[in-house]
Amino acid sequence: MATCMSLAECIVELPNGWVNSWTFEKALIKCGDALGAKYSMINIKIPAGCKLMIDVIIRLLSFCNQAIACTKRIRLEFCGDTMGYLNRMGFFDHLAPAAEVSPARPFFSGAVIHRGGNRGLVEIEKFSGTDAVERDLVPRLVTAVERGCAARSDVKQIGDAMYSIFGELVKNVYDHSQTSLDAFAALQTYPQGNRLTVAVSDSGIGIMRSLRPTLKGGRWDNLSDVDLLVEIFREGISSKPECNRGLGLKSCAKHAIGFKADLDVRLLNQRVVLKPSNNQYQPNMAYSQEQLPLLWGTHIAFSFKLG
Amino acid sequence: MGGETSGWDRDQGTPVAAKLVSHLESLPAQRMVRISMEGVERMDASFASEAIVEVIGRYRKSKGLCLVGLSNSAIRLNIDLAAERIGVPVTVWSGKEVEVVGLRPSSGNKDALDYALGQSEVRAATFADVAGISIANASTKFKQLWEQGFLMRIEGAADSGGVEFSYQRIG
Repeated sequence: MATCMSLAECIVELPNGWVNSWTFEKALIKCGDALGAKYSMINIKIPAGCKLMIDVIIRLLSFCNQAIACTKRIRLEFCGDTMGYLNRMGFFDHLAPAAEVSPARPFFSGAVIHRGGNRGLVEIEKFSGTDAVERDLVPRLVTAVERGCAARSDVKQIGDAMYSIFGELVKNVYDHSQTSLDAFAALQTYPQGNRLTVAVSDSGIGIMRSLRPTLKGGRWDNLSDVDLLVEIFREGISSKPECNRGLGLKSCAKHAIGFKADLDVRLLNQRVVLKPSNNQYQPNMAYSQEQLPLLWGTHIAFSFKLG
Repeated sequence: MGGETSGWDRDQGTPVAAKLVSHLESLPAQRMVRISMEGVERMDASFASEAIVEVIGRYRKSKGLCLVGLSNSAIRLNIDLAAERIGVPVTVWSGKEVEVVGLRPSSGNKDALDYALGQSEVRAATFADVAGISIANASTKFKQLWEQGFLMRIEGAADSGGVEFSYQRIG
């Protein structure tokens, strides 16, 4: 799916059909460390019929913007209708201006034209961990969830849970990402209303780099990254010494577990998928892929099966 | 909540907590305060911790603060998680039903708390009689529950002339 044209250029070739986070990873793996020093140009090919899941879309967006921040050239080559789909959710509004788009960047932002008009689709929300917290951000995301799930009798309960989940995930970025690059939040409801994915992606130093130094010599210090990640969501672990901290991601997990959501976390070089078991996330139900190509930040996605 | 019906993030909870504390300080003689959650639509766990739970913890032993009208299960879960995190029991009333969320009593004190929650006021001697334990043992249990914030305590005169405490559920 990806090939190295020369030492300077790599091609990330996404496949036809649905592209979930693992499919995306496989495409990255094929070209090695695209964000590393080896390449100065990254060419991403997106064929006709390529359908990117929402968590992949904002990871791709973060990836592209990170490449530009690393002074690399990046080109997105579209073939078919995927560009229109991405345009409607505002992908190009948030893509670094220096990123090249082939055949051409859309002239108009579909997100501006269609904002709020599609129940099954939502625009990407951008925020910066170094700016002031935008108070309306979480209510806007929750309104989008409720619009997508409007036909369900439990729409209020879903909205309540999403308010807590987005609130904590977004604030986590403000507290820990330590970067001026934008972060993104997005969600997608599916037409039948029985599936919902919410995702937050930042380009910061990563949750492990933020947390590990503060845990030296403590009870969590000897845990592997996977086990530590499970405990972050299960027990709540904070980089701050105050006893009232560390609550955020634990509460996200508690709300998500209520809807039996799978949790997908991409770290700098690692991806961990947690599946609920006995009403919690447990180490024996954690699946990890290690030594993945570098992707800065923390990328969290919950996939809900609403039944 | 300053006119808002929802809140997320600890920073948004800070002014709400300040307002609540200011109101409580204006009621120095009030030992029990019922905080109505009616009309509150949404809050995340960090906001709940900052705005409500930590204030309840701050007044432990001096003022009994409880919640009423808490029908939203997501807010209830967030208050429970926040209170458990910092070791604060939060008494929640739903009509005539009472429940304590957050900090759980020790297994040894659970029966004493359950008994106290069923009465408006209890004395150690009464519970000792009901539970078949010594008065000293019952007194220790209630004292621990008071220190942890599960109950309030009133000092009174014992028939023998000494001091006897009675304990009240919060709310």
